[in-house]
This record gives sequence, C-alpha cells and structure tokens, in this order.
Amino acid sequence: MRSPSTARALPLLELGGLLLVALLALLFHLRLPGKLPSEASYRAVAERLQAEARPGDAVLLFPWWAERARLFLPPSLPVYGYLGSDRDDLSAHPRVWVLGQPELPRSDEDAFLASFLPERRAVGTATHEGPLSLALYENGRHRPRRFDAADLVSRARVYLESDDGARQPCPFDGTAHRCPGPGNVYVAREWHEILYEPRRCLWMPAPGGARRLVAEFDGVPGDVGLRLEGGIIFEYAFPRDAQLTPAVLGVDDAASGARLMEVAIAPGQEGVKKSEVHLPPGEARTVKVWVRSQNPDRRAVCLDVLAVEPAVGVKG
Amino acid sequence: MMGRPATRDEKYVAWALWALAFVALWLTESAVGYTRDESVYFAAAEGYASWFRQLFHSPAKALTDAAIVRAWDYNHEHPALMKTLFGLSHLLFHDTLGWMRSATAFRLPAFALAAMVPALSFLFGSALYGRTAGLFAAFAFMLVPRQYFNAELACFDLPVAALWLLVVYCFWRALEDTRWGVACGVAFGLALATKHNALFLPFVLTPFALWRAWTASESAPEARGWLLRFVGVFSAVAVFYGLLVLSLGGGEGFQQKFLLLSPHTLLFVSLAAGGAWTLKGMEKVSAPVTRALVPVAAMAVLGPVIFYLHWPYLWHQPVDRTAWYLAFHAKHNHYAWFYLGTLLREPPFPLSYVVVKTALTVPTSLFAPMVTGFVALAARVVLGQLERTRAWVRPPTMAEALVGVNAVTSILIISHPQVPHFGGVKHWFPSMVFLGLLAGQAVSRGCAALVERLKERWPSLPGVAVVTGVFALLLAPALVYSARVFPYGTAAYSELAGGAAGAATLGMQRQFWSSHVTGVLPWINEHAKPGARLFLHEVHGGSFRDYQRNGMLRPDLRAVGSPFDADIVAYQYHQEFREYEFQTWQAFGTRTPATGLYLDETPQVVVYVRPESR
Repeated sequence: MRSPSTARALPLLELGGLLLVALLALLFHLRLPGKLPSEASYRAVAERLQAEARPGDAVLLFPWWAERARLFLPPSLPVYGYLGSDRDDLSAHPRVWVLGQPELPRSDEDAFLASFLPERRAVGTATHEGPLSLALYENGRHRPRRFDAADLVSRARVYLESDDGARQPCPFDGTAHRCPGPGNVYVAREWHEILYEPRRCLWMPAPGGARRLVAEFDGVPGDVGLRLEGGIIFEYAFPRDAQLTPAVLGVDDAASGARLMEVAIAPGQEGVKKSEVHLPPGEARTVKVWVRSQNPDRRAVCLDVLAVEPAVGVKG
Repeated sequence: MMGRPATRDEKYVAWALWALAFVALWLTESAVGYTRDESVYFAAAEGYASWFRQLFHSPAKALTDAAIVRAWDYNHEHPALMKTLFGLSHLLFHDTLGWMRSATAFRLPAFALAAMVPALSFLFGSALYGRTAGLFAAFAFMLVPRQYFNAELACFDLPVAALWLLVVYCFWRALEDTRWGVACGVAFGLALATKHNALFLPFVLTPFALWRAWTASESAPEARGWLLRFVGVFSAVAVFYGLLVLSLGGGEGFQQKFLLLSPHTLLFVSLAAGGAWTLKGMEKVSAPVTRALVPVAAMAVLGPVIFYLHWPYLWHQPVDRTAWYLAFHAKHNHYAWFYLGTLLREPPFPLSYVVVKTALTVPTSLFAPMVTGFVALAARVVLGQLERTRAWVRPPTMAEALVGVNAVTSILIISHPQVPHFGGVKHWFPSMVFLGLLAGQAVSRGCAALVERLKERWPSLPGVAVVTGVFALLLAPALVYSARVFPYGTAAYSELAGGAAGAATLGMQRQFWSSHVTGVLPWINEHAKPGARLFLHEVHGGSFRDYQRNGMLRPDLRAVGSPFDADIVAYQYHQEFREYEFQTWQAFGTRTPATGLYLDETPQVVVYVRPESR
C-alpha cells in the first residue's frame, strides 16, 4: 500500500519539477539576447577581414547556417556555410577564417573542430567581437590549382557528339555554348546546388540518347592530379524512378582518345562524385570533358575539371 | 462517466476566455502574413460568396450544376464550411460594410472558431478536474506559438481542432442530457464540413459509447437487449454495405451504382430508421443507455447529411465528388521536410517524428505538464491492472480515458510512417487540445497539494494567490517565447530545441508556408524602384495579390516567376530550395544579400537586389 505521505508528496514533487523546468525556460529566454551578435559586432569583424584578409582567403561559418554574416562581410571574400561545410576541404583556399558563434544554443564547437581541424593550423589567436569569434587557419588541405576548366569555358570547343563521331557544334554566344535542340542543353559556368552545396561549376546537362555533350579544353598541364567533380543539381538527384538512367561523365585525352576518368551517377545518388588521376609529366594536353545519359530527364549535371597539385599540408 | 452541465460562473469565464482569445487574435492578426494555403482559401471564399449573391438574385440559375461548379469547383479538395464562412464574412464586413480590411474580414470566422478552444477547454477541464485545470488548459493552448499562429489564419486546422473538442464535449454532456447527443451529431457534421480529420471521430467515440451502454445495462436485461439490437442494426448495415461493395465489383462499381434510389441509399435510410427505432425502444427501459447511444446514432445520420447539405458542390453529384475528395486525401502528395538534419521526401517517415516535433516546438514549461499529465494517467491505467498495485491508485474514470484517448489519437494517426509529414504540427492540433487538459490536471493537483501544505503553516493564505503564482511562473516562458517569435509562427522552436538557433543546428525545418515574407516587405516597399519586378520565392501568386490588396506591398511592384526575371528576390530559406538562392547569385552576379529576416540569427527570408537596380 502506498503511504499517504507519498501520495501527498508526489504532486508536490511533480509541481516542483514543473516549476524548475519553467525557471530554466525563463532563464533561457533571458540569456538568449546576450548570445546574439549585434550589427556592430558584425561590422567590426568585417573591418578586420577587410584589413587583414588576403586574396585567396575564405570565410567559413560556424554554425554552418549562420549566414547573416553575408550581409556585412566584404563581397570579395568567399563565404562558405552550407549543410556539410564543416567537412569541406576548401581546397582552393590557402587560408580560412572561421567566423564562429559558439555561444548560440546547441552550438557544438568541439564537434565542429573535430571535422574542421585535421590538416589545419591556427594562425595567431582567435579574436572576439561580442559573441562572434574570428580565427584564422592555415589550410593544409589546400591544393594549388594549375587549371580550372570553368575559368576557361569561353575558350572551350563545345559540341554534341554522336556514337559514330559526328559532331554538332554548340557555338559560344558570349555567355554560353548553346547546342541545337532543347534550350537547357548548353555549357556555361553557373551557380548551382549539389546536395545543399553551392558550386560555381560547368553546367553540362546530358543531351540524351547515345550522344555526348563534349567540351574540349586545351592547356591541361602535366605532372598534376586531374580531378573530376560533379553531380546532379537540386532536387533532380533524389528520384529513383525506373525510367531515369545513370548520368555518365568523363574526361578523355583528346589526342589519344584514352579515357582518363569516368564517373557514373545513378538515379537517386545525391552529392558530388569525385575522381582523380595523376597526369604524367610532359606537354600540356587537350582534354574532352563529356556527359551522357540515355534518358536526359532530370540528368542535370554540373561539374568541375581541375588540375591540382598535392595538398600543401600544415607547416611546422 | 457522467457529463455535468457548466455552472453559471463557468459559463461566464468560458465566454470571457472566448472573448479574450477572439479579441487578441483580431488585434494581432495584421502582422501575420498570408500562408500559401490561405490565399487559395481567400480566393475560394470570394468565389463561394459570389455564388450566394447569385443565389439571392437568381436562385434558379444559381442552383444549376453548371453555376455551382463554376463557383465551387475551385479548391474542392476541402469541404466548404470554413471557406463559406470566410466568404460571407468578407462579403458582409469588407465588401458591404467596409468595416475592416479584406484579410481581416476573411479571417474573422477562424478567430471565432479558434477562440472556442480555450472556452471549451475551460468548461471541459473544470468539469473533469476543477477550475484550475480548466483555466490552465485554456491558457496553455493559446500560449503555444504555433497554435496561436495557426489560430490567426483563415485555414482549417484550428477550426477542426475546436470542432473536434466540441464533438467530444457534446458526447460527454450527452451522458447526462439526450439533447447533447443530437448536438454531438450536429457538431460532428460541422467538423466533417471543416476538415477530413473529423472522419476519425466516430472510431474514437463509439467504443466509449458502447462501453458506457454496456456497463449501464448490466443490471437491466431489457436495456441490454435493446443495446444488442442497436449494435445489430449498425452491424447489419455495415455488413450489407460490405456485401454491396463485393457484389458490385469493388469500390468503383459501388460508386457508380450509388444513386438517389439505390440499395446504397436504402441502407442509409434503414440505418437511420433502425437506429431511431432501437433508441425509442431503449428510451422506455433505460435512460442512461439511451443517452450513451444517441451520439453514435446522431453522428451516423446527421454527419453525412450535414456534410452533404453544407457543400453545394455535392448537391448534383454527391457520390463521385465525395469519392474524389476522399481519394485526394488518401493519396496526398509528400512534400520535402527537413527533420534532424535529413530531408524527408517520401515514406517511411520516422515513427518518433510527431513526438519529437511536439517536444521541440511546444514551450517546454507547457510541454512538461502535458507529459506528466499523460504519464500519470497512463500509470494509473497500468497500475490499476496489476493486483499488487491496484490499491495504490484511483482507476481512471471513463471521462479521463476519453481525454487520454483523444490526446493520443491524432498523434498516433500522423505518426504512421506512411502518412504525409509536412505542415509542422498543425495536423495533430486535436491532440494538443486534450494534452492541454492533461497539463491542466497536472498543474491543478500540484497547486492543490501546495496550497494544502502552505495552509498548514499559513492558514489564511488564499489559494488563489498560490495558483496565480504557479500560473505566472509556468506561463511566463511561453508568453515570452510567443512574443519573441510572433508573427513568425512556423519558425517557433522551444527552449528544449534551443530556440530557432538550436533548431537550425539540430537540422529542423526552418519555416514553411511563406508567410514570414512580411518581415522584409517594409524594406522592399521602401527600396524597390518604381515598377520593380519581384520574385517572392514560395509566395503564392494569390498571396502576392493579397499583400497588395491589404496595403502591405506597393501596388506598382510586379510579380515574376524566376530570379532571372527579377530586380529583387526574397528567397525563403528551405533546405530543399537552396537552388533558388544560388540561381539568384547567378542571375544577380552577387552573393551578398541586401537585407533579410533573421530570427535569432537563423536566415528565414534573404533579400537580394539586382546590382543595377539599387
């Protein structure tokens, strides 16, 4: 038999617990405004970056979604903040500024650093502007770029290539190489989303059938890593409908016709697929970057072809 | 379980609560943006109201199917009760009297329905658990930011929660007064005419009616006999309907042969007649058994009749159009939904979704008593079943069980992994009403124990002072949270989530329904060049029109459908729509926004201006 004192104590205990929860909730609301940065804090950070950032630097946001900073930071400085950006190598950038808000509710700085810190080294000490922290890191994952196809797209030769080798040219109109047929079949450098990540990549949708959409680039140097990165943009990657077909992207050596890289992206595969080969030393070469898919429906490919040196690693 | 009438004082308090909620909603609604659905309902409501004008001027023409379809075909995926009320309110208060702006006139009936929730919660809670519980339940419901936000909208989620509560309240009152049983049927019909959630109500209430009838007829063999006849009539009709479906080759054949003069109709008439006959017979031998069953018969007969009568769209083709309506909801689309870092696009959805989402959105100081209230009830059920522990607890009454079952019904339905999971928390509002009652009970018993304890030391201490203090402490965080997030209700996340910022880190849906665009409209009005082209991402074309119509957006600004055609883009942050922001970068050649709506740092709406347009 439960004792009468227990019977009396339980509701009191319950109420005590409820009141404690309410007090903690109230405390949460009272403390929250102090954890949010003011415009002045952002402007102070922006001024420091304006003064100290070098060309090639990037800003990484922590937490990844805290994009209000974009309003204030110098437009010349690339700002990264997307779901998954904590793990981004940011290989184009030798130095990375981390703009953090570690005091925000549920901000887990340790988890962030566990993803971010490997192959990186802090330069100096972090500074604070209100609840904002700004820390500079040397990016050991930086891979100096010797060639970026997207930079040279205006000089590329673009065409649709049939199975038998017949070509239909896609002339450059000043902004894009437009192919005959559907209006979306063209090659240009554009901003697109691949699994939440913003990428300024080469828009190269699959033309359909056995044909390939090809872009030829000259001047790829030797003795570097040739890297292909690409994926299906936006919501088109997710569906696994039976009528959809894999998008296949690849890079061939134009002179020999040898296949250097090939990546297949099956329906339902999201994110950026990557492949890399080491090019032997020698003369600069011409490469054919191509995309094909039997069914062009939702095979909206955006890709990058880069010639990169090995990661620089951290010094000291 | 017995119903009990409200006392005069309780009625006064209930009316006061209704008035308080109604006025609060009215006074604050102008800040709330127009959700995607709402502008569709505004347009539908205007169309329906125009039909009533036609009915007044040329009734014969208005009653033809062609005229009905012309007016009522739009948005026939939802029944028409609320939209009709919105339209008539607009016709009267805006078009005719000119007393208020267009949107307020549309929304007024929704306020009236939503305000029923605190009033009825108080009446029901007071009767079941005492006035402290009733009052806490009333405040608790309106101080949940997402519930308050939804109460502002000319939509159906709050009205159907209110009508669900009304049906249950009528059902409970019917146990002491037969007239409430008829009212239960009428309320059920109105609920059906509001939203399809109500279809589940008979399945929730009938077992209670049978349970009550069974126990009340235990020592009355004649009444038991009539009870069995009543059940027999309903069962027979159900079996015959089943046989009819089979004999006609399935649902499609059943639907095709369902005419005014057909076995289908005959069976329905038989049900009504048989139900009435058994209830008449029962009335002579047992009033309690009769009172228990009248709501069931009333729901079965009045529900479909009111549903049919309220919706002119069904008048000429009731079967096919009802079938289409039901099929639409049975096969509803799945919309992308961000949950704990994963974009949910298709079933199966996580079983825990509803509970987690509730925990992360309801103010924690209100969620906690909901949990303890429900756990205490469940514990009493469990402990009451075990011989060793039976003496420890008072077994739950049927009325308490009724509250408990209604508290979990909508949650369980939406928790099913195949059921669409978009729409935040609105689809299980009917459960929240009853969880509020359980929270009220938890707080009430705590207050009673505290008062008792304090009075041992200070005998003259007024109990109301203690209750007021407890209420103030428990409700204060919810009030602060509500004020902080208003009017951006779909971005409301509780203390447990860490607010909007914590929820963003957790990977929860930032917002939805597009109404937060109101946060940047003043800036756009001030900065857009004359005649600027505006891409208000996610904002329905009807909402764009409504913002202009209600003076919230400059009339010279023009809507366009893509960032590439726009001078200004207001991108709504959705994880599944990131491409639109990057298209804007592409179109405008900049990644730097001009302004935005940021709630506790979380981007909600981000505004870009085409550089040459600045």
